[in-house]
Amino acid sequence: MIGLRRALWAVAFAAVIAGAAASALVISSDHVPQKGAAISIGLLITWSFIGTGLYAWWRRPSNRFGSLMTLVGFTFLLGVLTSSDDPVVFTAGVLLSSIYFVVFAHMVLAYPDGRLERPWHKGLIVFGYALAVLGPLPQLLWGFNPNMKCDGCPESALLIENDATMRDVGNAITSVIGVAVVAIVLVILLRRWRAATAPQRRALAPVLWSGVAMLFLLATALGSDAAGVQRLTDVLGTLGLVVFASVPWVFLIGLVRSRVVRAGAVSELLQRLGEAPGTGDLRCRLADALGDRSLQLVFWLDDKERWVDSEGHTVALPQDGDPARASTAVELEGRRVGAIVHDITLREDPEMLRSVAAAAGLAVENERLHAQLRARVEELRTSRARIVEAGTQERRRLERNLHDGAQQRLVALSLTMRLAQGKVHKDPARADELLSAAQEELKLALAELRELARGIHPAILSDRGLGAALEALAGRAPIEVHLTELPADPLPEAIEAAAYFMVAEALTNVVKYAHASQATVRVSRYNGHAVVEVADDGIGGADPGRGSGLRGLADRVSALDGSMLLDSPAGAGTRLRAEIPV
Amino acid sequence: MDDHPSFRATARVLLEAEGFDVVGEAADGASALTEAGRLQPEVVLLDVQLPHIDGCDVAALLTGNDNSPVVILVSSRASSDCSPLVTRSGARGFVPKAELSGDRLQELL
Repeated sequence: MIGLRRALWAVAFAAVIAGAAASALVISSDHVPQKGAAISIGLLITWSFIGTGLYAWWRRPSNRFGSLMTLVGFTFLLGVLTSSDDPVVFTAGVLLSSIYFVVFAHMVLAYPDGRLERPWHKGLIVFGYALAVLGPLPQLLWGFNPNMKCDGCPESALLIENDATMRDVGNAITSVIGVAVVAIVLVILLRRWRAATAPQRRALAPVLWSGVAMLFLLATALGSDAAGVQRLTDVLGTLGLVVFASVPWVFLIGLVRSRVVRAGAVSELLQRLGEAPGTGDLRCRLADALGDRSLQLVFWLDDKERWVDSEGHTVALPQDGDPARASTAVELEGRRVGAIVHDITLREDPEMLRSVAAAAGLAVENERLHAQLRARVEELRTSRARIVEAGTQERRRLERNLHDGAQQRLVALSLTMRLAQGKVHKDPARADELLSAAQEELKLALAELRELARGIHPAILSDRGLGAALEALAGRAPIEVHLTELPADPLPEAIEAAAYFMVAEALTNVVKYAHASQATVRVSRYNGHAVVEVADDGIGGADPGRGSGLRGLADRVSALDGSMLLDSPAGAGTRLRAEIPV
Repeated sequence: MDDHPSFRATARVLLEAEGFDVVGEAADGASALTEAGRLQPEVVLLDVQLPHIDGCDVAALLTGNDNSPVVILVSSRASSDCSPLVTRSGARGFVPKAELSGDRLQELL
């Protein structure tokens, strides 16, 4: 920062020296008519641009706009070389006298962030530089127009011969190309204006509109020059110069004004928030203070690790590199509570954003609590709907299983009994066979009914508690299952049921997908929570979105205010863990 | 025609024991229609609950011609669940699966 400041002072010093040298050149000239006026106008314009440019450079060192503005000042000074009585210096002055104008167009195009938007804009500017140097060549090669020829000016060092036709044709060509280039720049600027948001327009307005006016005057001047209307060219040239001279001042006034207006709004906001934090519409107040109607407030939910709006709906923050929107974090006592999502142009004033964000901390925390509540209600609403849906699905599945399973077996049993009945007297041996088959069928039907009943609610769980029920589950599993920990005291019934079904579903998944050789089951009490954990040594990589089983379990756990976590890195086993407050 | 093989097997044994000639079996609606066309049976026993198509729709497709077979719907559901469907489907009658016997069929034929 100190290095930068020194460098900027050096540039300022160079500007003073250059100004003095230019003044000396004008004073010594044989052919400059009103030397006093020429010196004062020249220095005013040069030093306005350089001074304002250096100020902008110092305020925003990463923004190249300030350096471009400074460069406009220095290149404007190059025109003074035409005051020289030496033909070579004079000729160089004529060649370089329009460069400042392209730097100016470059600056306006790069406003406000100091960068050209598209690669082809860069090409256009490079072409502009070439044209600015080549533009005066026809006059230097084939003699000045008698109307423009000043008394006492030295001859061009590049003069071949005086040839009015060649000169006029050359002039016309360069002027027409010049008008076209300026027109393209104007179109780019107007398009940018049309695409800009309200805060962007406020930021663009001062430089863009004076730039447009200046470019427009220049294009008309070039046009009238090509058409040979000298008086109009002079008038428009002078008008253009006046507008040009005003640009740094307009920019400066815009900068100061926006700072003053925003600072006023910000201090009013600070005062109001200080008086009664959390009252009124916070978003509107922040929007007013920062002058951005599109401003949005979002809140951070720690437990869910996501951003929500005031209604509790999940939202995403603008990405880095978003061309239109940006966000500023709001913290309270070092803890993230929310963020202000705003127009990207507000980044121009990071101090103001920081002070607003700091002042809004407490009020944002209040609104965050509301948003958290709404998010919770929303979540409960959807999980309740899912639980109802899951209940319906479950009943449908039960009906189907009963119909396809036990019911069919009982039907077959009934028919077999009827057959056996018919054979009892005629063919007792066959009847005996049929009755044996019926007995087998009855056993299977009973087993199926038992399995179904266990799916609805395991009797062993209500009769003998979670430990025995989990042991039974472990015993039935086709892989090795270790019960490593069980709570000493029984848990509430709803939690035991949730734990049982979670372990049952998890073990089913382990057997189906994990390719595991063994699994461990742990149920413990920790810190006021029942912690249920099922881990396996399988292939991992389980997808939490797979199937409805895990989702149903998560709903069951969240209905008890608990949370469920699936940790399944590829190749390193799967761990399903639920914590339910007791 | 039934999608449960155990019922088909038992029903075949039962009906053959009671003097019926069982000419074919089918496990779903589509093959029931093809088999009925091929074998031209006199009677078709048709399960109301089928995997992809409703038994009543199959009954409507099987009946309607002069030489159509007599269709008798069977189900493991209660007869009261099915009776409104039976009358609309063109089937001759309905027998709960557990009550299937030669006598019940004869009554309907």
